[in-house]
Amino acid sequence: MLTFILRRLLITIPMLVAISFLVYLGLELTPGDAVSHMINPEVANSISPEQLAEMREALGLNKSFFERFSIWLFNVVQGNFGHSLSGGVAISTIVLDRLPATLELSIFALLFSTVIGCSLGVISALKRGSPTDSALTVIGMLGVSIPEFFFGLVAILIFALNLGWLPAGGRLLPGYDSFFDRLPHIILPGIVLSLMMTAGVMRYSRSAMLDSLSREFIRTARSKGLPEWRINLIHGFRVALTPVVVLIGFRLPTLIGGSVVIESVFQWPGVGSELIDAVRGSDYPLVMMIALLSVFAVLLASLIVDILTALIDPRVRLG
Amino acid sequence: MNKVLGLAIAAAVQMTSSAAYADRANQLSDERVRQAIAYAIDMDTIVETLFEGKAIAADSMIPNGAYKADGLNAYGYDPDRARALLSDAGWDDSQVLDVVYYYGDQLTADLMVAMQAYLGDVGVQMTYRKLEGDVGGQLNALPEDGSDTSGVTWDIAYGAKAALALQEYYNGYRSGRSSYAPGNSDRDALVDAINATADPAAQQEAFMAFERFENSVLSDIPLYYQQLFIYESSRMSRNGGQYGNDQFNYDWGIVDWTVEPDSNGKEVLYTNTAPSQFFDHPWLNPGIYVFSKIGLDHLLTADGSLAPSGGQLAESYSVSDDGLTVTFDMKDGLTWHDGEALTAEDVVWSIETAKTVPGINAVFTSTFSAIDSMSVAGDVITLNMSKLDPNVLLTFSQFAPLPKHLLDGVNPAEFQQHPFWQNPVGSGPYKLAEVQMNDFVRFVPFDGYHSGIANIDEIVAFPSGENDGNVITNAASGRLDFGFTKSVSDVQSLEEMEHMSVIPADIPYTRSLRVNAFANISE
Repeated sequence: MLTFILRRLLITIPMLVAISFLVYLGLELTPGDAVSHMINPEVANSISPEQLAEMREALGLNKSFFERFSIWLFNVVQGNFGHSLSGGVAISTIVLDRLPATLELSIFALLFSTVIGCSLGVISALKRGSPTDSALTVIGMLGVSIPEFFFGLVAILIFALNLGWLPAGGRLLPGYDSFFDRLPHIILPGIVLSLMMTAGVMRYSRSAMLDSLSREFIRTARSKGLPEWRINLIHGFRVALTPVVVLIGFRLPTLIGGSVVIESVFQWPGVGSELIDAVRGSDYPLVMMIALLSVFAVLLASLIVDILTALIDPRVRLG
Repeated sequence: MNKVLGLAIAAAVQMTSSAAYADRANQLSDERVRQAIAYAIDMDTIVETLFEGKAIAADSMIPNGAYKADGLNAYGYDPDRARALLSDAGWDDSQVLDVVYYYGDQLTADLMVAMQAYLGDVGVQMTYRKLEGDVGGQLNALPEDGSDTSGVTWDIAYGAKAALALQEYYNGYRSGRSSYAPGNSDRDALVDAINATADPAAQQEAFMAFERFENSVLSDIPLYYQQLFIYESSRMSRNGGQYGNDQFNYDWGIVDWTVEPDSNGKEVLYTNTAPSQFFDHPWLNPGIYVFSKIGLDHLLTADGSLAPSGGQLAESYSVSDDGLTVTFDMKDGLTWHDGEALTAEDVVWSIETAKTVPGINAVFTSTFSAIDSMSVAGDVITLNMSKLDPNVLLTFSQFAPLPKHLLDGVNPAEFQQHPFWQNPVGSGPYKLAEVQMNDFVRFVPFDGYHSGIANIDEIVAFPSGENDGNVITNAASGRLDFGFTKSVSDVQSLEEMEHMSVIPADIPYTRSLRVNAFANISE
């Protein structure tokens, strides 16, 4: 197991380098640079070419693409992630400030979608063909097909503006920073972020459960006179869980990606909203760091899925 | 083989075509074509429909008011006249005008569609595209010295001129400074005239002469004057404080503002324009962002129309008759929010530093470039000017001195990147108490403020701003008591909320079509 983990971690290094090069290249190909984004077009004619050159030199933008990428990579390897070009703040500070908010939102969404999605999927499978099953299938289809930002806007309109039950946005208000103060703020963005995933988990666990319930060992369990709840949950659900874990594992990184939109809609001060500003401003050190974080999350999730699959299903061997 | 031959022929055609258009003659250099375009666009209808009446059709770059000349041709919608002018000018209707813009809002896209239809109706074809990347460079690239070939590739650029001083509307036309208006000695004389005096009567005359000149030349085709809309919740009151151009600084009496207490008995006012990653320095946009507005003071203050009206950090001030000596006598006992003394040295350091920071406000640049030398004697600062600057007092009503003890030694090219802008120290009636970057910032009254302690217990600002859907969400949910916008769609939504009121303010902000009038355009 340890060898497997080490080997997988070592493979991630060249992958991270290759992907970071591609992201860097993509940023290079976008029109303009950080300095041109800092200058308001309406005052641009008051800045001399010499001043622009000084600004570019100060930010290291006067160097060639490969030179800049090499310097950036060399610094990253040494643990120096650089500074934001627009605000001069250390990238590590920005990410450490924003990451807790994003993780808070993502973990809430992951837990919510896993518990609710699995529960509804099992219920749907056990009541196959019933009106409950049909209703849940329709709800699942809606959840998968309607974009999250739309759900977000509708949720704000109903629960925040019309009913006034929950805040319309933000993570906390001044002077209200306990867990219970924060809880109302996370409910709407957390549930909206988890909706699509809940629907996916529900549909997946339903089909996995149906598949599991049709196996021989279920019939054997029934013939042994085991209670129905034990057959369904201990024998059926455990086997059905393997593909569901794979699905949940691979959704982990998309929770960070998905939160870009949701953070904007709900004014959530996380990494996602920071990424939007950084991309708009060609703030390449910040974009690179957030991109690397996402890539690392994907690779890590893949590793975790492999390990969990092996733990759940003894037939799976890591190697 | 046929394929290769086809490709070669296509390449040859392409090369011929490129060569033919390398320096194409520009029909827009003919004044009659520019006038025809002005006649062809029905701005009154556009204002009434697209803008729902929340703009004013423009007949010159200078906004309506005391400086507006009488009898200007408003170029009212007249397609027949447009067609006649185009015919007189020998307009080649196979040419397709390249119109560019840099705003990302839907209203601009709608305006482009409307313009395309209006111009198409008189036989002028156009395409439109949004500039991306180095927008400033694409808009402002100058032609080579003495060349009659434009340095930019577009035919018409839709944009805005937001002037702190009226001279800003026209100073950019000076020969060699404009990317679209070729040099003209008559116009240069007019530019000199509007900058030659601080006497309002003489200035008015000079501006009116300029307006009449431009009214036929149409370097810019003025489209409409944009209004500013100040919105307030029913919870707050200015208690008699005046309204004005809230994009800049004026004496709005914020020390006396009040807001209804919340359930805890605390008076908290919610606003926006808080930072998402850093506080914007105040030397480009001196009054847009919340810290600049309530956290920083200026030597002078101004009235709602931004006319300098008295001292703020300065107890008194004077300008010599020839305009070449300006003095400010600072108030005694001034301090920064961190308790350090705010002195004349801070002001002089700020001016010297601002002269080296790229991209500061154009009016500040103009004033500071005219300063020959500065001296300090006790609390008195004396500026010796190399030439009269008609806007010297305006500059010092908007230019915020910054604390030398916290910023000394800053690299001008990285001024905005200095750590100071993560939690800045100011001199205004409110000081920062808490910064949750990209979430909110909290201000409390500054106990040491020279003009009394402000009434409101806390001002909380969120990082939403103009053209941001969160403005409406926050206002509807009671998280926005004060702000301002130029967005027509925001105003429409705010007006529908019973607890919000919207106050329109006329501001010098003119949207126009910059017409590339150089004899040739590079492709």
